[in-house]
Amino acid sequence: MVVEPEAGGVELSGVSPNWVTTRLDFLTNWARSNSLWPMPFGTACCAIEFMATAASRFDLARFGMERLSYSPRQADVLICSGRLPFKLAPVIRRIWDQMPQPKWSISMGACASTGGIFDNYAMVQGIDTIIPVDVYVPGCPPRPEGLMYGIMLLQKKIKGETFTDQDLRREQVLDEAGMFLPPERVDELSEPFGNSIHQTRSG
Amino acid sequence: MTDVSPSVGALTAEFGSAILRNAISCDHSIVYVTRERAHDVLAWLKDTPGQEFNFLTDITAVEYRDAERPLEVVYQLRSLGRKADLRVKVPLDKTEPLQLETVYDLWKGADWLEREVYDMFGVTFVGHPDLRRILMWETYGEGYPLRKDFPLRGHFSRAEQVRQALAANPEAQYSLEELALAQSMQDLPADMKERLRRGERGLVP
Repeated sequence: MVVEPEAGGVELSGVSPNWVTTRLDFLTNWARSNSLWPMPFGTACCAIEFMATAASRFDLARFGMERLSYSPRQADVLICSGRLPFKLAPVIRRIWDQMPQPKWSISMGACASTGGIFDNYAMVQGIDTIIPVDVYVPGCPPRPEGLMYGIMLLQKKIKGETFTDQDLRREQVLDEAGMFLPPERVDELSEPFGNSIHQTRSG
Repeated sequence: MTDVSPSVGALTAEFGSAILRNAISCDHSIVYVTRERAHDVLAWLKDTPGQEFNFLTDITAVEYRDAERPLEVVYQLRSLGRKADLRVKVPLDKTEPLQLETVYDLWKGADWLEREVYDMFGVTFVGHPDLRRILMWETYGEGYPLRKDFPLRGHFSRAEQVRQALAANPEAQYSLEELALAQSMQDLPADMKERLRRGERGLVP
């Protein structure tokens, strides 16, 4: 039930949530949140925990995620498990751009979320500087229970979405300036969330 | 404490003053060689009967915290037949351009090793067939990360690093043609060519 304004769909900007839209939202969100197909982007030890989560002991299939999608074209949620070097930044951005809407992303582990201990020249300090992130799972690496809690948080978030808010599903394509923000703007946005050594991201 | 490798005495007899000194560290003999004769020494070590260091284990480099000490390029050699090791170090004065003759003509495996030393330390290997960055991406413009004057977080701000990384176009540097087997087909041994011709599983009986 995603309405893409640029695809010539019904313009819903004037519609306020009412009984019909909330019932439709309930149905679509129920379906979406229980059939998430993850696109695994495993780069480090977090990927081992992700594999454990997908395997029989913890059994990701209970959440409707048993079908790991190794093609971004058929994936709903990008799980970045592990550190992301700058060399892989255009790769994960390309994969994110290739995923069709609706799509979400989970940043799994300390390195993907903040750069972790890798506060150096080669490492992206948080994948949210590359792609938008819905759920951050802390841990180094997180236990499978932690990832599953993050997945359940994402399901909860999906269940709160409404298609009358089109900004949720609007595709944001990078222009040639990339995701560059002026340093003052980055400081303003990330003030409490810089890592322990330099407290703001722009430094 | 093991003795000095017999190769050290032979090298000194052959090359004289080009052998600067030798040392023993962790039971390994280390030979220091001048930059000018480094290629000759390595070629001699590879080809001379009785030496036969036919396997190049690694090429790396060391830069010391003391700024006056030269940067050292390290060749770790192994003789598979004699089961012997030798470490050859070439000091490079940092006031001069960091240049060294390639050993790609001696050991083909030096290709990526020298690219790595170039990428991380900025040592130029003269005569290398394809000297470009191997770990960092090709448009990386901040310098050589393992040099002591390189700040841990790089020269640019994080925002600028993100912008440059996203602007990088990986396909422009790494094409599928680069990975194509066809170019190196003539270099493959005959049995591998035969296996490739028959397919991976071979003939079905």
